[in-house]
Amino acid sequence: MRALCWNGIRDLNVERVDDPKLLNPRDAIVKVTMSSVCGSDLHLINGFVPSMQAGDIIGHEFIGEVVEIGAEVHKLVVGDRVVVVSVIGCGECEYCKEERWSMCDNSNPNGVIQKKIYQYPTAAFFGYSHLFGGYAGSHAEYIRVPFADHGAFKIPEDIPDEKAVFVSDGVPTGYIAAEMADIKPGDIVAVWGAGGVGQMAIQCAYHMGAERVIAIDALDYRLAAAATYSKAEVLNYRDTDVLEALKEATGGRGPDCCIDAVGMEANSTGVEHYYDRTKQFLKLETDRPAALRQAIAACRKGGTVAVVGVYAGFADKIPMGLFFNKGLTMRGGQMQGQRHVPLLFDLIREGRIDPGFMLTHPMSLSDGSRAYELFNSREDGCIRAVLTP
Amino acid sequence: MVKKITKNVGSAERVISLALGAYLTYRALRNLRYPSLPALAAGGYLMMRGGLGYCPISRWLGKKDTHNPAINLKAVMTVNKPRREVYAYWRTLANLPSFMAHLKAVTESDEGQSHWVIEMPGLGGRIEWDAEIVKDEPNQLIGWQSVEGAAIKNAGKVEFHDAPRGGTEVRVVFSYHPPAGGFGTGVAKLLNPVFEGVLENEIFDFKRVIEAGEIPTTKGQPAGKRTGKFKLI
Repeated sequence: MRALCWNGIRDLNVERVDDPKLLNPRDAIVKVTMSSVCGSDLHLINGFVPSMQAGDIIGHEFIGEVVEIGAEVHKLVVGDRVVVVSVIGCGECEYCKEERWSMCDNSNPNGVIQKKIYQYPTAAFFGYSHLFGGYAGSHAEYIRVPFADHGAFKIPEDIPDEKAVFVSDGVPTGYIAAEMADIKPGDIVAVWGAGGVGQMAIQCAYHMGAERVIAIDALDYRLAAAATYSKAEVLNYRDTDVLEALKEATGGRGPDCCIDAVGMEANSTGVEHYYDRTKQFLKLETDRPAALRQAIAACRKGGTVAVVGVYAGFADKIPMGLFFNKGLTMRGGQMQGQRHVPLLFDLIREGRIDPGFMLTHPMSLSDGSRAYELFNSREDGCIRAVLTP
Repeated sequence: MVKKITKNVGSAERVISLALGAYLTYRALRNLRYPSLPALAAGGYLMMRGGLGYCPISRWLGKKDTHNPAINLKAVMTVNKPRREVYAYWRTLANLPSFMAHLKAVTESDEGQSHWVIEMPGLGGRIEWDAEIVKDEPNQLIGWQSVEGAAIKNAGKVEFHDAPRGGTEVRVVFSYHPPAGGFGTGVAKLLNPVFEGVLENEIFDFKRVIEAGEIPTTKGQPAGKRTGKFKLI
């Protein structure tokens, strides 16, 4: 089959590789029909996530058709049209049983190595470095799905592919952001990053009762989309003092809930940006946490900061004094789609969440490399490019 | 003042070091005009090591004296299954190869006697020994050791405790004496992190087998051309 492989920093190639086969009884093979690029892939492509190997197939947000199932797969049948969540959970460990799927004890075959860095193993992901399992990703014609009964969900017939594909990762990440931010009716929410995940967080925040949601980004076309499709108020940090603007917008109190949907490659303005760029280049910090710093600074006293932008290692100049003295709560983590997908299907059907607009660039798998270039440089109004084999 | 040093090179090794050191020094100085400096340095080092009975490199590798200490490996984990079940799975020694990949087979005869077969990964060799269960407290503790004359002298124990919120805490200790003498210990110390990694992986595989019913793997999955390029940090 053909697959999009990582070959080095900003070096992707479509190669001919073997077809995947069942390796374990709880595996299924899925014929991929759509596979989306994700902002978190850019960290792999730009070389900020360790333990990538040339030849790794990337991609983790996808839908497809079940074509083969292992002996211990009971909920799926061949021919099912499914969305597969990006995080892999065994369903049997303490964490999966408590529906905290991203913390699965067992799904990461490289858990023992990962423990050397993170102290405890985390769940594995499709196509997201060897530290996170080394599983082959979805930018391919076929993919092997471990623990398929838990990770693959039959898509209701009335939800089109163009929406269903984002239920794999973007929508549940936005949902868990809003959940972790502990949004209560009447809250004012600020979301850093108006990409796919940020916009889903905005829509989920409204669903959870947010009074107003303010989106912060540097790209006008994304802010325009956030205003149009996700009904957010928008701030462009390139020409606005974000902290002042947020005070102004909240009667001087600050947002109740702040969501970082940017992560380790945050951009900022002025000296701060050059400081982080330099430290990251010199490996004195692995992550550039500009959005997180601002979220902590902006948050009202006693408020909550939720982090869903991806971080990999160490970040500097986190304003702990502000965090501490304002009595903030901070939560972070990967999404747990296994817990949310059925609910998200309902919300999409009811029209309360609509991810369809994110698909700005339907492209062919053969153009995978070009799709990421477009996405990485934010050309042509790209929010998500979705590859079809 | 002379600080007393602890010898960490055995007598046989000292003789060999002296002889080899002398030979290297002789070779290095054969041509006095162009002495081979690396050979001279190596020869000098070996003679020093033989003469003093102390080797800084061996010490750096972890060999502190001339004894041949056992190497201990420890692992601890919590398994989301009742203690009775976890103990029973482990106590059925024939189950061990289901998670210890390098174990080819364990067969148990009566009275706690068992026969263990391992295949050395990549080496094609096979090592077998007999072991006996020396302690068996149902649902709490299993202890075993190899019988006299085993190729690899080894012993181990597994303890089972209830975790506070359900599940079982499993503590595993393995100890073994490396086959060769003094030098073997140095090599074993060097390889210890590797053994430890393998063992730790296999202990985790126990949790995976008993919880998830399978060992997650990526061996045999497709990949593009492995050019060797690797993103370390």
